[in-house]
Amino acid sequence: MRIPLIITAIIAFAAFLLPLVLPWGHAAIDWDSVNAGLFHEGHILGTDDLGRDRLARLLVGTRTTIFVALAAAMVALIIGTIWGAAAGWIGGRTDEMMMRIVDGLYALPFMFVVILLMVVFGRSILLVFIGIGMVEWLTMARVVRGQVLALKNRPFVLAAEAAGSPGYAILLRHILPNVAGVAAAYLMLTVPQVVMVESFLSFLGLGVQEPLTSLGILVNEGADEMDLIPAALLLPGGMLVTIIICLTLAGEKYRDRMAAEARA
Amino acid sequence: MHLDATSTSSLFVSGGLGALFAACHSHEYSPAEIFRLTILPLILRRLLTAIPTLLGIIILSFLLMRFAPGGPFDGERPLAPETRAALEAAYGLNKGLGTQIWLYLSRLAQGDFGPSLIYRDFTVTELIAQSLPISLLIGGLALLLASVLGISAGLFAAARAGMWQDQALMLTATLLTALPTFVTGPLLALIFGLWLGWLPVSGQGGGGAWLLLPVIALALPVAGAVAKLARAGLAEILGQDHIRAARARGVAPLTILRRHALRPALVPVASYLGPAAAGLLTGAVVIETVFGLPGLGRYFVQGALNRDYPLVLGVVTLYAALIILFNLIADLIYGWLDPRMRDV
Repeated sequence: MRIPLIITAIIAFAAFLLPLVLPWGHAAIDWDSVNAGLFHEGHILGTDDLGRDRLARLLVGTRTTIFVALAAAMVALIIGTIWGAAAGWIGGRTDEMMMRIVDGLYALPFMFVVILLMVVFGRSILLVFIGIGMVEWLTMARVVRGQVLALKNRPFVLAAEAAGSPGYAILLRHILPNVAGVAAAYLMLTVPQVVMVESFLSFLGLGVQEPLTSLGILVNEGADEMDLIPAALLLPGGMLVTIIICLTLAGEKYRDRMAAEARA
Repeated sequence: MHLDATSTSSLFVSGGLGALFAACHSHEYSPAEIFRLTILPLILRRLLTAIPTLLGIIILSFLLMRFAPGGPFDGERPLAPETRAALEAAYGLNKGLGTQIWLYLSRLAQGDFGPSLIYRDFTVTELIAQSLPISLLIGGLALLLASVLGISAGLFAAARAGMWQDQALMLTATLLTALPTFVTGPLLALIFGLWLGWLPVSGQGGGGAWLLLPVIALALPVAGAVAKLARAGLAEILGQDHIRAARARGVAPLTILRRHALRPALVPVASYLGPAAAGLLTGAVVIETVFGLPGLGRYFVQGALNRDYPLVLGVVTLYAALIILFNLIADLIYGWLDPRMRDV
């Protein structure tokens, strides 16, 4: 779990800090060096066909992707926790109905729902992560509900109830802190999924819009010129795959550890 | 019905229950009886829920599309009011919302998806009729390839559980599921199309060779997921008492696999078929764009980028119907693999 996390941390730091020191912005056009090669006049990775610095675009694209993923995962966490906790805590028919809704939404081809939202409400980065977060909360809701159900009848909760704590206080003070570990594990697994969805949308031109850039856009641009400059595809593609794989591996390890702890 | 691997595998925890069910099945049913008693009711019940679901999806996406800001006639220059009115009348956009939905649904029932707004010379039905076979061909072949690759890799890994082959295969499977198709697609095209020059990178030339790269790119992530599920399923079964008993009696490992372990081990894989179909449909959107194939997904993207309401609506409706169909097929396979799932 350690190595993937270290790699991700290095990538994240580079993506958030290095653009601040680079002399070129990701959308700035250097008219004197269009389609430049490596190390041409300060462009370490050269420039693309519009004279934009490739390194700056790669880093800013990575930054956008990570940022959107974190924000969307937070949306998923918030909606999922509230929904799941409410369903599990209230129980009975309400629980059944709320989980039916989740089941029904699961059956929808979610990528098309997100695309539909993009088409309807226009393509903005805000909508990208709200749309993704709205779809990705389903698993979170299930996980949180399961945890709440398991905790509901534990002695310490019954004790709090007997002591006269109101329901919301028990939920906030006793149950949710115990859900946090498992929720965090699934949050870690949600992030790479969101990365995938966001870059998928951006690749198709339905996600992040120019002049902002993201890894999906860069992969798309790279695919157009891969016959001449393979690195234009390989670098953003490799970056994307590295992030997804590292986060998935780390998330799976963390989830397994949480599961083992829960059994103990 | 959505069943994940954990909930299906928990069905196998109670080993003793299996014997009880086996006793109930001591009376052999004829195939016709099985169809009438189990398969037919399942299909009918599914259709009963499928129709409202489909209607709901259609109406919801219709409303979303209608209330979208910006319309198909918004150009750089505003149209003269009378031109706009004439256009809206021609496409029926000046009628009330309820009337529009009713008109759309009744035309849909006759297989008429309306005119496409960006491909002016075609109706949506024509576009779908042209593109659906290509998408089905690619998707079907990818599903087949993914099943064969994934199941054999998963079974092999389970047979070598805990050894290096198992770990290597499962790591590969995780990596495969993490690879987005829009990266593997161009990458495969770059390596096998441009560098090695073995296969065509776009279009439909070269006999059937054009199919190879898109199908492989589409199949890889699904194969990874299938391999994981097949391994988990078989490893679970192999640990059970009746397998141990068979082993203790000296039954050959391959016979154990064929006779006792294979069918229950594949149940998690069957339950993944529905999500896999959804995944293949989404993957196909990218793959068709990458390889320049005139399939359904490509028209969907073009429609989405250009706000072609009838086209997007038609394709979404079709996708929803396909996914419902695949879930039904998954349920049927599921019941065939595990008799306990049948409601006799």
